[in-house]
This record gives sequence, structure tokens and C-alpha cells, in this order.
Amino acid sequence: MGYLDIEHLYFQYSSKRMILKDINLSINQGEWIAILGHNGSGKSTLAKLIVGLLQPKEGRITVDGVDLLPENVYDIRKKIGIVFQNPDNQFVGVTVRDDIAFGMENLQVSKDDMLKKIDFYATKVGMQNFLDKEPSQLSGGQKQRIAIAGILAMQTDIIIFDEATSMLDPGSRAELMEYIKELHQEGLTIIMITHDIEEALYADKLVILKSGEIYQQGDIPTLLKHPEWFKEAYLELPTAIQIYYDLKQAGHDNQELEEYLWAFSSSK
Amino acid sequence: MGIQFKQVNFSYTGMQKGYYEAIKDISLSIESKNEFITLVGQTGSGKSTLAQHMNALVFPTSGTLEIFGKKVTSKRDRHIKYNDIRQKVGLVFQFPEYQLFEETVEKDIMFGPLNFHKTEEEAKVLAKKALQMVGLNDNYLNRNPFNLSGGEKKRVSIAGILALDPEVLVLDEPTSGLDPKGKRQLMDLFKSIQEETGKSIIVITHDMDLVYEYAKRVLVLDKGNLVFDGSPEVLFRMNDLSKFHLDYPQTIRVLKGINERFNLSIDIYQKTVHDATAAIKRGLNS
Repeated sequence: MGYLDIEHLYFQYSSKRMILKDINLSINQGEWIAILGHNGSGKSTLAKLIVGLLQPKEGRITVDGVDLLPENVYDIRKKIGIVFQNPDNQFVGVTVRDDIAFGMENLQVSKDDMLKKIDFYATKVGMQNFLDKEPSQLSGGQKQRIAIAGILAMQTDIIIFDEATSMLDPGSRAELMEYIKELHQEGLTIIMITHDIEEALYADKLVILKSGEIYQQGDIPTLLKHPEWFKEAYLELPTAIQIYYDLKQAGHDNQELEEYLWAFSSSK
Repeated sequence: MGIQFKQVNFSYTGMQKGYYEAIKDISLSIESKNEFITLVGQTGSGKSTLAQHMNALVFPTSGTLEIFGKKVTSKRDRHIKYNDIRQKVGLVFQFPEYQLFEETVEKDIMFGPLNFHKTEEEAKVLAKKALQMVGLNDNYLNRNPFNLSGGEKKRVSIAGILALDPEVLVLDEPTSGLDPKGKRQLMDLFKSIQEETGKSIIVITHDMDLVYEYAKRVLVLDKGNLVFDGSPEVLFRMNDLSKFHLDYPQTIRVLKGINERFNLSIDIYQKTVHDATAAIKRGLNS
């Protein structure tokens, strides 16, 4: 039993096609899992099921031993937060301060406590000087950090990042990834939904979804040894690993260089 | 002809603290034919605002814009038909797939041409042609756009703009939300449209790998200023792109790492994995 367990999960919208089929996944506290999949593989649907925004057709999800049901979805949200793709769609406050407060307001945190927490978590994400700013004065990366501060203030155990960096410029994106790394080192459990393998390389464990099913899962070096799996799942390998296989195919043997190319993709 | 910016400024009026300058003193010329431009820069650097000027969707606060011979300034001129500009320069918004609304793909694509006073028959012909241009066959005409995949929806919405037969096509982050394969397919599509029709294409993106592989010309915006206008080859030879919140393409990063680690002098400026591999082989043999 992990902290988050998904057992025989099936999901479909009203149409006939099953979006997720027999998903089994167990996530321990403190882990960093990347869920990688092509467009339409069902990865964002899975994220929505885990936070109770959608209800499974079959199967169960348990968080910290408690079944996720419509009646206790608010309790579960105290344990799992989610950061979405588009920073503009999740900025709900008029100012940064209001935005960080939003999640806590739903949890009936006292006013004094809330103000303290806003300051604390804004400082934590490095945005303490922006509390009175409006969203239009922030970059995409800054908005995503505010979204994270709002979730951290709710003191959840898990944060799901649902393609949270895909709309960011390269600078903000690298910054956000480094920041997530810090949070993980502090013990937060991370579920990262992405179709970018370079980003997935930060994780401890990789789950590959293909057409609604878990196609492969395991540690990253093991999966990277099977380029055919990535091809089958309509995914790309990291550039350094692509070069590695390309050199190998051309009959080139240089052990040191090969080791370097592998290290390049695992040094995240 | 084409699009000329002359010292164009644009300011948004904020809710508090006065205004905020989105683009500053932009002077720039875009040819009406054969351009393949990528527009890059930090989120909030003014890319979308610049793109929205290109078809007179927004008007400069100061400075002059000339779009296919028509002058656009801060004051609306009632003698100018701004709609003509919008036919010459087609703008595809971010997440255009959210704007599909008709019950069939055909009707959705016909919407633009009908608005521009084409007859029902003409619009049908244009829709069919536009759908072919985005690589979807006639079977899609009667399908419901809501049942299509994300990539297909994007193609249908791009077809909706292509059906107006614009001379210049401007796309605001068309690849966002697509997986790597989808991104590449869409960029290949733009490249083939560009080569076959000669239309100029301008793409906003954050993906440096795509910039390096596809662009003939790159515009870099930083806090509203145009700080670079040139080829990707020149851009990625510059030091310290992080000051513009940009990064280097993966091939360059890997090859640079190899040179440093093994004290080699491989030519690091390679656009594809195959070229990178070939360069490594040459570097090791010399």
C-alpha cells in the first residue's frame, strides 16, 4: 500500500470510448513520479480523477487509506493540490495576495493565520515583493509560482503538476523545475504530468501511458534502455539518448562518450 | 507591401497604477512572401500584442503601422476598411480549438469566408481546399469538431483562417499543448504551406528546438523591446541567452557538453540528431 493507490481504474466520458483502462498505480510519500504520454493518452484525465474533479466509472482511488468519494472530496483536496497548464486560467484573485488566500478561504482558516501564511508562502516561492501586484504585471512563471504558493499554504502532501510548464518560456520553465526540485527535497510528493521527456527526467519513476493504459512503468534508466517502447508510445527520447542510439547504430564504439551521453540525461 | 512597423508603441491601461507598456519603439519590416519567422521571448514580453498589431486587431498607442499599403495609427480612419487587412493577414489565436463552435467541420471553416461576403458555394470550395492544406481529407468535412483530437482541432481552426486565403499567416503559440510528435507535424505543415504557397508565416513559440530547426528568421522580444532580428544561426551563437529568458536547443547543449568534457572541437551548431551524430563522428576522427 502506498500513500496514493489507484486500483483497476476505468473512466469514460459519455461517448463509448474508454479513456482510461485498468489503471493500477501506487505512489509513496516523498516520491516524484512523472506520467508521460502522447496527446489523448488520458494523462490529464487521470490527474482530474486523482483530485476528484471526475468520478471513476470503475475501480478505486485511496489517499492515505481513505477512499476518494464525492462526499469526502474536500478532505482529499487538503491532501492533494493541482497546478494546471495555463497560468492565466487559474489566477482567481485580483492581486497576488487574494490569489494565495483563495484556497485557504475554502478551508476556513482564520484571518490572522491566513495573513501570516500568505506572507510565509509568498516568501517561500520568492514572490513576497509582489503581493499587491495584479496578474497582468506578472510573467507566466511568476503566476505559476503564485499558484504553487496557494497550494503550499493549504499544506497538501502531494502536488500534481499537469503540464504546468508547457506554456512557460525556457527561463521560467528551468526556474520552476529547479523550484519543484527543492520542494521535493523537502519531502513533498510530486506527480508530474507531461509529454516532455526532458522534464520527466527529473523524476524518480516514470509511468508511460498509451491510449488510456499504463504501457510501461519503472525507473528512468531502465526504460531508456528500450527505445522501442518510446516509439510504440508515440514519444521521443531525450536528445542525448537519441544521439547515443544513433552513434551505436552507426557502429561507433566509445564507452566514455556513451557514459557521458547517459549521464547527460540523468544528471537532472 | 507586407507589414511595416515604424516606432510603434502600445500601452495597456491597467486597473491600478496607470498603464503598462506592452511593446516599445518597434521598427520592423515583414515581407509579404516567403518569410518563416518565429517570434520568441519571455511570457509577458509582448509577443501576442505584437502579433495582434499585424492584422490591426489592436492599434498602436503611438507610431505608424503599414499593413499591405494601409496605414494604421492610434486614430481609426473611417476611410480604411480594416477588415481588408484582416483578410490579408490571418491571425490564429492561442488555443484556437476552444473557439470551434459549429456542428460540422465544414461549417466551421466556412464561417470566415461567409463573413467576408463569399457565397455559400464559394465558401464550400474554400473550406474543402483549406482542409486539404492542413492535411485532413474530405471525410472530415461532415464530422463534429468536438469529437476530434487536440491536434485535429488545431488543424481545423487553422483551416478556418486559411480559407480566407491570407497572404500572411500569424499563429500565436500553435504548438502549445501538443506532444513532441504533434508539434513537429504541425511545424512540418507550416513549412510545406510556406513552400507551396509562398505565404509568409509567423509563429510564436517557446520551443528553441523548433526555432532552430524551422525558422529562417527569429524576432526576440524582451520587456516589449525588439532585441534581436536575424537568423537562428546567429541567435544561438550569442552568449548568455538567459538574459532574454531563452535557452539553447538541445543538440547544441549536448554537443557543447561533449566538447567540454572530452576537450574536443566538434562543430556544435547542428539542427538535428542525425547531423549531431555525424558531427561527433567527424570530431572524433580528426
